[in-house]
This record gives sequence, structure tokens and C-alpha cells, in this order.
Amino acid sequence: MDKVKSPEESRKLLDKITFDLTRSIVKRDEFTNFWYFLLIIFALVGLWGWGIQIRDGLGVTGMRDYVSWGMYIANFVFFVAVSLIGFLISSALHLLKIKWSKVISRVAEQVAIAAVALAGIIIVTDMGRPDRFLNVFLHGRFASPIIWDVTVVTTYLTISVLLYYLPLIPDLALLRDKGTDDIPQWKRNIYRILALGWKGHAEQYKLIAHAMRILMILIIPVGLSIHTVTSWLFAATLRSGWDTTIFGPYFVAGAFVAGVAAVIIVMFLYRTRYGLKDYFEDYHFNMMGKLFVLVCLVYLYFNINEFLVPGYKMKTAESIHLSNLFTGKYSTMFWATQFFGLLLPITLMVNKYFRKPVPITIISVFVLIASWFKRYIIVIPTLEHPFLPVQNVPENFQHYAPTSIEIMITVFSFMAALLIITVLAKMFPVITIWEYAEEKGISREIISEPKK
Amino acid sequence: MKKQIILTLVIALMSVFQGLAQEWLVPDDQKTLTNPSEYNLSNVKKGKDLYMKNCKSCHGDPGKHNGLPLVPAPPDVVSEKMQNNTDGELHYKITKGRGGMPQFEITISDDDRWRLINFIRNFDPSREQLLVDAPPKKAKLLASVNEVEKKVEIFAEVEDANGSFVTLTDAAVKISAKKAFGNLPIGEVLTNADGRAEYKIPETLIGDENGMVNIVVQLDEAYITDNVVLDAAKVGQLKPQPKLIKKEILWSTNENIQTWLLLSYLGAVGAAWAAIAYVVFQIFKIWRLGKE
Ligand code: HEC
Repeated sequence: MDKVKSPEESRKLLDKITFDLTRSIVKRDEFTNFWYFLLIIFALVGLWGWGIQIRDGLGVTGMRDYVSWGMYIANFVFFVAVSLIGFLISSALHLLKIKWSKVISRVAEQVAIAAVALAGIIIVTDMGRPDRFLNVFLHGRFASPIIWDVTVVTTYLTISVLLYYLPLIPDLALLRDKGTDDIPQWKRNIYRILALGWKGHAEQYKLIAHAMRILMILIIPVGLSIHTVTSWLFAATLRSGWDTTIFGPYFVAGAFVAGVAAVIIVMFLYRTRYGLKDYFEDYHFNMMGKLFVLVCLVYLYFNINEFLVPGYKMKTAESIHLSNLFTGKYSTMFWATQFFGLLLPITLMVNKYFRKPVPITIISVFVLIASWFKRYIIVIPTLEHPFLPVQNVPENFQHYAPTSIEIMITVFSFMAALLIITVLAKMFPVITIWEYAEEKGISREIISEPKK
Repeated sequence: MKKQIILTLVIALMSVFQGLAQEWLVPDDQKTLTNPSEYNLSNVKKGKDLYMKNCKSCHGDPGKHNGLPLVPAPPDVVSEKMQNNTDGELHYKITKGRGGMPQFEITISDDDRWRLINFIRNFDPSREQLLVDAPPKKAKLLASVNEVEKKVEIFAEVEDANGSFVTLTDAAVKISAKKAFGNLPIGEVLTNADGRAEYKIPETLIGDENGMVNIVVQLDEAYITDNVVLDAAKVGQLKPQPKLIKKEILWSTNENIQTWLLLSYLGAVGAAWAAIAYVVFQIFKIWRLGKE
């Protein structure tokens, strides 16, 4: 924390911080409209595809009897993976008292909320009869990993929303009290309601700190569970490629890679679009880059375990699967994901230069795309080999390729996730103002004093 | 490329063998053997019984071309392929067998094998047909189950030349139990002089969970009747219920869920949501403080 400043200095600084951090809320130009237009159009096209799928049934997808999990499930795993970043940055690093990550925690929570919300929706799109969705809760089988997954996803979503909301309360009060007239009235009405009559009492701060602490501790088991249980959906079967004991940590490690990449991209977009150079500093990108290398190394370690050990043994069924990945039909995709998703980021980012905002963002884009394909490779090739003595099976049961409807719905999920992030960024400051101000040595009294 | 060459070779070889398969070579000394058993009604009848027991399952009913779809196919006895054999060839083929055709050297005596040939010759167009199947007659079949004594009581009538029904004597009545994949034959009785028959259901017959059996009663193909189906007769033993999925196992249904699993699940979910509820309560407290 910087040294305490005089009230006059403090007020001026706070005004500047508030001004900078509300720019995302105030700013509305042609580009904003265009961006919304783009997202909504693509999302609508996806919803239209979903309409067709509901009308005609899952036969419109490429999924058949053998490959009964296709692009939807791969996409689901991807989104669950991305959502895990909320747990890493706003809880794990916080509890470890790592300071630099504070600025980023709201971005991480935005990404987490958007991703986990979409993960839930994607599962519904994968259902042949979405109208029976409630049956999962009414008649679920407690011994089924699918029920565990549904439970943990909803729990994680709730905790993420609370983790996002709690530190937002003082900010909402601040905007309510000090917000300029540039902020549209309806937004300020929402702030007034959501601020819950925040007055900045010491008592209230204490409650927030207390509740945050509980959530941060709670999200550790829940966050680990969400992706571990997702991995169990696969690992609890006997299929080659899924039947492995390291799937839990393997998925969690991979999730951090995808999540860090997503957060860096969003950070960079905010930094350039909302002029937040002094907030998301080069320093933060540098630190994120180091974190990135670390999680990539952990993930690399798990990848080596996951492929080298069975590759050494080459058990009958396993060897079909592995050679399919290493040299067969999926080899291009497999090696591309390993290269762009792991080797490239590690080798580049150990170098300081590549941890600068622009290069690291470009690398993150590659890694994020690679992570998506990595999930595809985890789900589909295994299902294409049922390893049963089958006869007289239609050709299209044995191979899977997504149909245009599936692609439309998947595009919808991306657009919807971006839409959630955009709306959150347009509604609420992307950095916690009061925490940041406190960090700069501005006292709480000044933060919560009403506008003159 | 290499693969394709090998594949072509394999296919070529296979068709050569396929070609060989058409030709069933019989040693010359065997070919010319003559049938020592006389071609008369008694031998043909015995041959028919043997055929019904040993051959019909694959070769089907004579003249109906309803043999099993094997490759190569078991030919119908009326077919030219069958009849073009000399007696000696038939004898050799039945004795030695080949591929899908079993050998009967051990299971059927030599005399009986020659009788089978007599039966096959019954369908040789160049010979007088000794055994002629009469056209099927109309018949009526009544049956009921006596659950107490565990028997099926049967009464059969047949249409005589004048079109009126008279009791059917000495007719074979087949009794079977309807199962999921077809009828399981359980026995056969002959009707007596009154056209009646009684069939004692074996103690070992297994029914469904409640011991119920669906019994099918039918006459053979010489008669036209509807089969009598006696639904849900309580004459069988209770079907054993495997305990396999009835006990508590990790992946079981909710009724048989393992206690520790249920408790862990509910405990974890309960703890998480209790904590969430507590946090929401803190938010409520913040709101209350704000009102003061
Ligand atoms: C398991 C099924 C099966 C049973 C039982 C069976 N056959 Fe065959 N039979 C075949 C098949 C299949 C062929 C054709 C074999 C071939 O051409 O390689 C065949 C061929 C024959 C042939 C040779 C026909 C020709 O191509 O010249 C004769 C004769 C014959 N069976 C008689 C009998 C007799 C008599 C019996 C009963 C004692 C009998 N089979 C029982 C399956 C069976």
C-alpha cells in the first residue's frame, strides 16, 4: 500500500480512478453498437439452429449410436475448463496473499461466470428432450457422475456470482454517490438497488471481508471438484483413452492453461479499448505470463504421463487409440494442439519479451484455440472405437463429423459467452475501484463520502 | 498399394476355394456303391423319422426350400443338386460330412444312413413316390390347464369326409412354453380313442417371477388349426432373481445406493450450500446495516 496521502490529493486521485474505470460504462460509440449487433446476430443464428434441432431431434447432429458425445460435450468441457480460472486467480492467489492478481480478479470472475453459465446451457443443447431437463434433479441417480457434475456446476456458478457481486457492492455505492451524469439513469437505478444501501461502515466492510473469505475457501474444493467431476464423466468408463487415473488433475491443469489464456485476452481487450494502460500494466501481463508458463509446465507434465506411459505399454485396445492420435486420423490435430497449446507458449514465454501485452495476447489466442481442439481430441476419437465386435453397422455410426447445426450452436455458445462478458463490462467497472483506491493509499472515509 | 495387392490375392484365392466348394469329390469306389436297403414304404418311413430328427434343422422341409442360410447352403432334398448324386455319393457325403455338413459316421448306423437315402429317393422324380403327405385336414383343438395337478388337458376333433367334426385319435399334440425368443418345446402326447390327452407338466419348468408360464398347444402340420395359447398358467417354478444388482454397489440405482456414497454426496452438497446460505445471510446483514 502506498503511503497515506492528504485528503485533497486523495480526492483528486479517486476522481481520476473512478473516471478511468467507468469509461467502459460510459463509452458507447459506433463500435459498441456494431459489436452488440455482431454478437446478437451470431447468437440468433445459433438459436435458430437450436430450434431446428429441437424440432427435428438430435438426428440433425453428426452423433450416432457409437459417437454419442460430439462437439457439444467437447465444447462443454472447454467451457468448464475456462471457468476454473476464477477459482485460481480470485481465490487461490488471494489466499496466498499474492498482490498483483487483485486487479485481475474481476476479469477472472467475469470469464468464470460467462464460461460456467454457458457450460450449463451447452449441456441442455446436447439433450434430445430439453423439456425434460428438470428430471435430472427430480429423478437423478446419486451414484451417477453426471448428477455430481450437474450439482457442482450449479454450485460453482452460484459461488462465482457471489464472488463477483460481493466486492462489487462498495463500487456500486461509489458509482451511486459519485457517478457522473454520463452514466445513464437506468444504470444508476440498478446500482442503487444492488448497492443495498451501502454506507461504508467499518461493520459493513468487515462483513464483506468475512463473507469473501468464506467464499474463497469454499471455492477451492468446489472449483477442484467441478473439473475433476467433469473428468470422471470420462474416467469412470472402461474406454481406452478415458480409462486413466490421472484424468482429474490432468483436466484441472489443462483448465488453468485455457483459463489463463482467456483472461489475458480479455485483459488486453479492456486495456486497449477502455484505455486502462495504467491499470492492466505491462507488469501484470508479465506476471500473468510467468503464471502461464508455470501452468503450462504442469500440464505438460501431465500430458507426458498421460501419453508416454500407455504408449510404452501399448495394450491392445489402447494402442489402436494411441496410434490413431500419434500417426493416424487425428495426428495433425493432436500434434497441433500439443505444439500450439503447450510447447510454443512455454518456449516463447520463458523469454521476457514475449510476456509483453501484444505478444502474450497473440500466444493466448493460439493456446485458447488449441485448448478447444484438445477437448475435441479427448472426447471424439475414443468414441469412434467402441471396441465391441460389431457387424453390419451403418458407415456413419463409426465416424463422427459435426454437422452445420452443431457448428451453429457451438458458435452460439461462444457469442453468448462474449455477450455475457460484454454486458458485465458495460454494466460494472472491470476493476474493483475501492480495492484499487485503497491500494493507492486512499482512506475508506474518502471513498465512501458522498459527492459534494 | 501393397495392402491392395494382398487383398486382391486373398479374394482371388477365396473364389478358387469357393469354386472347389461347388465340387464335392467322392472317391470312385464309394461312388458306385449300391443301396443295400430295399426301397419300400417301411424303410422310407424310418428314413423320414431319421431325417426329421437329424437333418431337418438344417436342410428344412422337403420341397419347401427353407433350409438354414449357410454358405454353402444345405440343399433341399427335392433339389436336383441332391438328387443328381448317386446313392454311393449320398452315402459318402452323409457319412463323412464337409464344412457345415456334419459327419454322421458315428451317430447314425450304416443301415440307417442307407434308409435316409431311401427317404431322399422318395423325392426322386424318376421313382415312384412311396410316402405321400396327405393334404392337411381341418381340426379343432381345445386345451386347458389344471393348475392344481399341473397338467394340460387336451381335446381334439378333425373334419371327416362329410364335413362334420369327429374325435381325433392318435394324433401327436405338441406342448411348448412361450419364452422371450420363441417357443420352448417341453413335450408331446398322443390323443386317445376319445380324442383326449393329458400332459403332465414337468416339475422343472421355470416360469416368470411369479411362476407363470404361457403354454402353447399345437397339432402337427398335417392339421389346420389355430394354436391354443394358455396365458399365465401358474404351473412353473419361480424364476430365480439374480441378486447381482439388488445389493448396494457403487454404480447402483437410488434404491440400492451405497450409504457412504449417499452420505458423502449429501454431506458435501449440504455443506457447500449451507456456506452459500451463510454468505447470502451476510449480504442480508450488510443491507440491514445500510438501512440504519
Ligand atoms: C448343421 C447343419 C446340417 C445338418 C444337421 C445336416 N446337414 Fe447336410 N448339409 C449341410 C450343409 C451346409 C451342406 C452343404 C455342404 C457343402 O456343400 O459343403 C450339406 C450337404 C449335404 C449333402 C450333400 C449335397 C450335395 O451338395 O451334393 C447331403 C447329401 C446332405 N447334406 C445330407 C444330410 C443328411 C441326410 C442329414 C441328416 C442325417 C444332414 N445332411 C444333416 C448342413 C447340414
